Amino acid sequence: MKSKHSTFISTLVLSSCLFSAVAVSAEDMVRVEDMVLVPEGSFTPFFLKKDDITNSSSVATTAVDAFWLDATPVTNRKFQAFVNKHPDWHKSNIKKIFTDSHYLEHWQSTQGSADSADLDKPVVNVSWFAAAAYCEAQDKRLPSTDEWEYTLTDNDRDTENLQKQIMAWYSVPNKELPTVRSKPANGFGIFDMAGLIWEWTADFNSYMAPPDSRNSGDKNLFCGSGSLNASNLSDYAAFMRYSYRESLKGNFTGKNLGFRCAKDAK
Amino acid sequence: MKKNLKRKLLLLLTVSSLAVSFPAFAENHDHHHQHETMLSTPDISNASTDSIFNITDNWTAANGKTFQLNKLGGKPTVVAMIYTSCQYVCPLTIQNIKRIERSLSAAQAGKVNFAVFSFDPKRDTPAKLTEFAKLHSITSPSWVLAQGSEGAVRKLAVTLGIKYKKVQSGDYEHDATISILDSNGVIKFQADAMNKNVDGAADALKALLH
Repeated sequence: MKSKHSTFISTLVLSSCLFSAVAVSAEDMVRVEDMVLVPEGSFTPFFLKKDDITNSSSVATTAVDAFWLDATPVTNRKFQAFVNKHPDWHKSNIKKIFTDSHYLEHWQSTQGSADSADLDKPVVNVSWFAAAAYCEAQDKRLPSTDEWEYTLTDNDRDTENLQKQIMAWYSVPNKELPTVRSKPANGFGIFDMAGLIWEWTADFNSYMAPPDSRNSGDKNLFCGSGSLNASNLSDYAAFMRYSYRESLKGNFTGKNLGFRCAKDAK
Repeated sequence: MKKNLKRKLLLLLTVSSLAVSFPAFAENHDHHHQHETMLSTPDISNASTDSIFNITDNWTAANGKTFQLNKLGGKPTVVAMIYTSCQYVCPLTIQNIKRIERSLSAAQAGKVNFAVFSFDPKRDTPAKLTEFAKLHSITSPSWVLAQGSEGAVRKLAVTLGIKYKKVQSGDYEHDATISILDSNGVIKFQADAMNKNVDGAADALKALLH
């Protein structure tokens, strides 16, 4: 205990000598504060819901372990700090295999950096590879699709209102992006799950597989019975999110597509 | 409006009727159509930055040796992803890779890598991969069967455009795709691994051997 304490003191002394080290440790503290521990729970992905009464003997749910999640999507400010530290991910250096040609295209200054008016808006025009690299650089990871969807459902606290909010957003043409935290957090204390941007997940390239299927490589989910399982209008919103993810490739970017990071609860 | 309509049309495959009424959804796809032609357009000037060798995760081969993808450099490579507990799709994938191998002369086959990566880091230990190789009479030193971390598997699958999901039974739902890389690790050709006709893959490979 004593030695740990003295290590801490010497680290403090050392870092006060080095400006950059001070900056990094301060940033680390903010990062911890910016994450929220989402408790374990379960939810029912829309594709496991059944309309058909003969099939509804049991409603399948998906269990999710507790995990840390960024309270907000990653902002231009934070992504700029990452790019400064990891020049491989600067828009003039990024490897072609990791992105399409629109990477960070909203960063229009000659140095290829973020517009100062946009710093607290979510970063967009980032590929899955760039998003994953950002999270890895913070010792984090992208959330799984299950974790993301579970967080969105918010333990069914106010489903009706949430669905309205989502549908309202899906049905209006794109406007200027607002800054993060413009609207109240959900019940978990997480901001901007709905109504701001689409978000990458670690396993966006997943099949929406029912748990009992195997080896079939079922590609007919949207054309056949799978899509009919969606039980009511509110599930169209979920259907659209899953369809959207399904349509992505890792090097794609979009002007409404950003991300946030997660971490195991341990 | 016309431009918007074009964007929306790109969604036809998945959400044809929905996209029309939900512009926010369609908006994200504004430039994705350009990717359709990427594979067939060789871009020599940018070969290195196009290469899957830019992925630096570690893999462990059936013989226990650790390597990175760039170890496949210098020769064209036939790549597939499988898992050994898979009953139907994966053995068939192996059979079709062997069909490609048999379409080459002995001299040609010696100038090609055959790399098979597992989806299943838990069960496909190097010992299990060795057993699988034996079962399928894979003895040539040109072949490598490998396992890596969950993150490495996901990154490789995303790069190769392969969708997969682990289901509750521990099995995997997955695309079966055979990819042909050139000697710099650039994807030159991809085909459905279930197709017994491997002429396309074989031709793509032979073109790289000239």
